[in-house]
Amino acid sequence: MVRFLIPSVAVLLFLLEPEFAMLSPIEVKGHIYYLVPRFLILYLIFISIYYSRQRAVMYGLFFGVLYDVFYIDIIGLYSVLYPLICFLAGSIVKVIHQHLVVTTSISVILVAILEFILYQFFYLIDFTAIPLSEFLRSRLLPTIIANALFLMMLGWAFKYLINARVLQRAREVS
Amino acid sequence: MPHFFFNKKVILLLVGMVFLVALISFSLRDRTNATLPEQIIKDTVGVAQSIVAKPANYISGIFNKIDSLLNTYEENKRLKARLEDFAVVQAEAADLKLDNKKLQELIDKSESLKDYNPIHATVIARNPDQWEEKIILNKGSSHGVEKNMAVMTAKGLVGKIILVTPFTSEVELLYTNNPNYRVSAMVLGDKEAYGLIEGFDKERNELILKRIDSSLTVKKGQQVVSSGLGGIFPKGVPIGEITEVSTDDFGLTKMAYVKPSADFSILDHVVIAKRTSTVIDGLDGNATNKDLTNPPEVNEEEEK
Repeated sequence: MVRFLIPSVAVLLFLLEPEFAMLSPIEVKGHIYYLVPRFLILYLIFISIYYSRQRAVMYGLFFGVLYDVFYIDIIGLYSVLYPLICFLAGSIVKVIHQHLVVTTSISVILVAILEFILYQFFYLIDFTAIPLSEFLRSRLLPTIIANALFLMMLGWAFKYLINARVLQRAREVS
Repeated sequence: MPHFFFNKKVILLLVGMVFLVALISFSLRDRTNATLPEQIIKDTVGVAQSIVAKPANYISGIFNKIDSLLNTYEENKRLKARLEDFAVVQAEAADLKLDNKKLQELIDKSESLKDYNPIHATVIARNPDQWEEKIILNKGSSHGVEKNMAVMTAKGLVGKIILVTPFTSEVELLYTNNPNYRVSAMVLGDKEAYGLIEGFDKERNELILKRIDSSLTVKKGQQVVSSGLGGIFPKGVPIGEITEVSTDDFGLTKMAYVKPSADFSILDHVVIAKRTSTVIDGLDGNATNKDLTNPPEVNEEEEK
């Protein structure tokens, strides 16, 4: 049961992202803010930290390809960035403490890095022309805040679910 | 470090990088069609997405309803004020329509650029990373959707179809950065002025209508509709209202800022307009695709 729950949560988050994206952009006092939902990668980072780095990279590759083909139409962007972020998360966790607060902040920082790389890429290929300061103000900051809120609400649930799977696996092995 | 170059991992990484760059540049080309594996993935994800979209649309619908309920009083006041004019305008419109029909019969003109067959579609997803302004609809080529068709809401034009798979289609919204994205438009007034919607002003959040003949007068507050002269869109789809007029970079033609009439922030149901009169993609029918000087994609867009 728990075994299938982990990938199905990933699928669900993948499908929910564009629905939440429809709520964005929001306009507050004449300024436009883009909130980019990054639920799936946050979840994958958690898998990478608490479960297995290799597994997270595999999931990252799979969903990255889906993301590229379905939404972006540039194949090879998310399919590299997702596994890369998972790999980074899995590597970082070897040197730090696995407390929920620490992992939450690391996840948010990694998402910020992801956003920044994407901005640089789209800037390079002329899909966007917004200057860096505008990007920081209208995209990066609101995105970080929104995703941090999301993780604060559901991070413990992810951890709980992944721990249940880890325990189950340990029992199977023994 | 000679052994560095024989390290398997490094070589694998390099090969991977080359492959990646090749893949990205392949997919960045202006492609007219999705490849078969892409189509399969798009359709599969699209079906799953439309299942999820239903409850999500329902919930966002509830929020919308609450929102409109809160504004009811204000709105009611405004609408009542306009109601009196409305009856007069309606009578006039009915009269004009009848007149128009009679006159058209008189000159034996049955086809109009205005006619279109609507295909109703639901938005199942919006590109979550929002770098490109795209939405994905639940109708595809099996429902009669074709590339370059106009997509609109009740309020006005929102974009056009850029990619079709059997069960989904992708819409590029009007406010895009793509320089090849052009819509032939006209300004309604005593004398119609034609121009092209080209580009979007990020700071003002308005569309830019360029290449208006400088001898014509366009004023703030005038309505802009699609002209149908691009060959694909139906005529008379509202686009927006002019907010400012100025001359373009070289001072040869006029340009105007147009505030779009459609609401882009919440799109859930849209209409794909399939024009009934002959659809012409580009200069001379299908011959554009065999254009020798330009790649067909670019040429098509330019004629829009």
